[in-house]
Amino acid sequence: MKKAMTVGMSVVLLVFLGVSFSYGANTIKVGFVDTYSGPPSVYTFDVIDSFKMAIEAINAKGGVLGKKIEYTTRDEKFNPAVGLAMAKELVMREEVDILAGTINSGATLAISDFAKKEKIPFLCTFAKSEKITGEQGHRYVFGIAENTRMIGKATAFAVAKKPYRKFWVAGEDYEYGHAVGDASWRYIKAMKPEAQLLGQTWWKVGEADIAPYITPILQAKPDMLYMATGGTGNLNFLKLAKAMDLMKVMGCFLHTSIELSNLQALGKDAPEGVMGTVNYLFYYPETPENKAFVEEFRKMYNRPPKVGALYGYAAAQLIAKAYQKAGKIDREKFITAMEGLTVDSPVGKLEMRKCDHQLMLPMFYGVTKASPQYDYLIAGDIMTIPGKDYLPTCDEIMKVRK
Amino acid sequence: MGICRAALIRRMVLDFIAAFFSAGVFCQILVGLSRTVILFIVASGLSLILGVLRIPNIAHGSLYMIGAFMAYTVSRIFGGGITGYCMAVILAPLGVALVSFVVERGIFSRLYEREHIMLFLLTFSFVLVFGDLVKMVWGAEYRTVPLPRFFQGSIPILGLPFPIYNFSLLLIGPLVAVGLWLIVNKTKMGKISRAAAVDREMVGAVGINVSLVFCIVFVIGCFLAGLGGALVSPIVNVVLGMDHTLIMEAFLIVIMGGLGNIWGALLGALIFGLTQSLGVLIWPQFGIVFPYAAVIVVLSFRPTGLLRSTW
Repeated sequence: MKKAMTVGMSVVLLVFLGVSFSYGANTIKVGFVDTYSGPPSVYTFDVIDSFKMAIEAINAKGGVLGKKIEYTTRDEKFNPAVGLAMAKELVMREEVDILAGTINSGATLAISDFAKKEKIPFLCTFAKSEKITGEQGHRYVFGIAENTRMIGKATAFAVAKKPYRKFWVAGEDYEYGHAVGDASWRYIKAMKPEAQLLGQTWWKVGEADIAPYITPILQAKPDMLYMATGGTGNLNFLKLAKAMDLMKVMGCFLHTSIELSNLQALGKDAPEGVMGTVNYLFYYPETPENKAFVEEFRKMYNRPPKVGALYGYAAAQLIAKAYQKAGKIDREKFITAMEGLTVDSPVGKLEMRKCDHQLMLPMFYGVTKASPQYDYLIAGDIMTIPGKDYLPTCDEIMKVRK
Repeated sequence: MGICRAALIRRMVLDFIAAFFSAGVFCQILVGLSRTVILFIVASGLSLILGVLRIPNIAHGSLYMIGAFMAYTVSRIFGGGITGYCMAVILAPLGVALVSFVVERGIFSRLYEREHIMLFLLTFSFVLVFGDLVKMVWGAEYRTVPLPRFFQGSIPILGLPFPIYNFSLLLIGPLVAVGLWLIVNKTKMGKISRAAAVDREMVGAVGINVSLVFCIVFVIGCFLAGLGGALVSPIVNVVLGMDHTLIMEAFLIVIMGGLGNIWGALLGALIFGLTQSLGVLIWPQFGIVFPYAAVIVVLSFRPTGLLRSTW
């Protein structure tokens, strides 16, 4: 009996070993750690769905270096400790070649630190902390999504030429809120020295009714209100802005106000005239590349792609092209190949900047407006801010990294 | 010198009065009161259950969330607009009451004899269960209940815009308070439940079905949570996790007012809502702190709450 069990166990073990060996030989494995449950999954599913779509196309053409790209996912439930544990598990047990994710800045920084020690490439696909490729950037981490420093600079770029002088910053009292609020004000002040900050208001994350916070702002009469909210806080603000018709008395700016996940949820209830920025709009630019991408995505998932879809797509293209350039499956060669790499995307050519490993995505500025074509609002007066204009300069990055 | 100081003081007093009656303050009081309405509706339900059943129902916030999600569904079924909204405000709390009835009969009613800590843990487990159920039924996407045209926009109050919907909440609040007062003080049911809160065994001894009384009170309490959720749904984003912040505030309000005392819940909600809205006016950057500071002040002077606790 005992003997039979030993034999059985060895067979099982051998099968496992065999499977993992065969995987190791024929595929490139990407391990995604991200929040796939709870409210943030509104954004993360687009990343992974788009990534899947892109690698299926790559694999259909024979893969990279004769190998297929595979991926596996782990749900970190928006918890940095869980995220880190899962990243470790993916590297140790699944033996992934590349790590990717997550939407949680804390988890992303923890995994980035782990990636640095393990010398394994890590592609950050959503988290917005400027520390990821800023203060705590290193050889093994790559930023694909925009971060708070970039949002701040893009905001300043978009509003500096407008006749606003008096500003007010309001938002949710957590790291993203403060980081994006501070960065925006810092860059506005730098580009427009005569700008004045009249005051700031902060409320706690998830505050249901933010009406009490608005009256003091109305009384102070700023020219422009910069909203530093994220996720579900965006919708609460947009609803109130419509009810109080804030846009009539002051300019309102909210990063991602023109993003599909916000505007689709609100339908015709969304306010018109709110300024905002975002990395991706499925209806702009009207290039063949973007149209083809949207059509493919719609065919596969029966919905238009949101901003996360661009991040997922770019991640897949970068991985494929970097291995192609490196010529073999080697972590160090992959990193070197990634630096300065250019890939095609629905929004044009994208360069992975060498100095800080930040992807140079364009940023689209626009103002919410009703559209006869859709049953939700879209962006009007769209202006494209090229990556080189709103990414912090390499000097800036080197300064904060010291 | 003396005259100078007197003039200065008079000037300061006048300035203070002028500031107090400014448009901003008046508007903030109204906004604070409209916020009080939601807080009171939810906290009074929590307090009712706490007072009669002695259950610190942490899942109360989840029922508020379910109320909001149900309001979303009902409003969609009736095609939005004013009909959708009215049906949502009527049907969603009833739906929540039904859920709570099943939960009470199925599980809670069997555990009243257990220790508090057991009931406490049980309600906590329901926070997780309800959270996952909501995710399974409605998913994680953002949802909003359209505000009927009737309530859209704002009315100017002393030159400052005040959302019409918040204004209508000001009218609903007193209605709910009066309704609760009538139920608790004027009906036989209310009298029995108050007696049961004080001495459960005695009520049972005179031949009253205490278990049934508890069930009714539990369902009414949860109905109020659902009503709060339905009323708040047009102004917020209906989303998973909206229960967490609210349940914290509701508990603070109940503790501040006196455990199990409905009027304590009203007082607590008033203090919470008004300190928040006026605090923002005084110090926008740290407005968030004022309600919690108020809780600390109240509890350091009256550790058992402002009004008489039934515990």
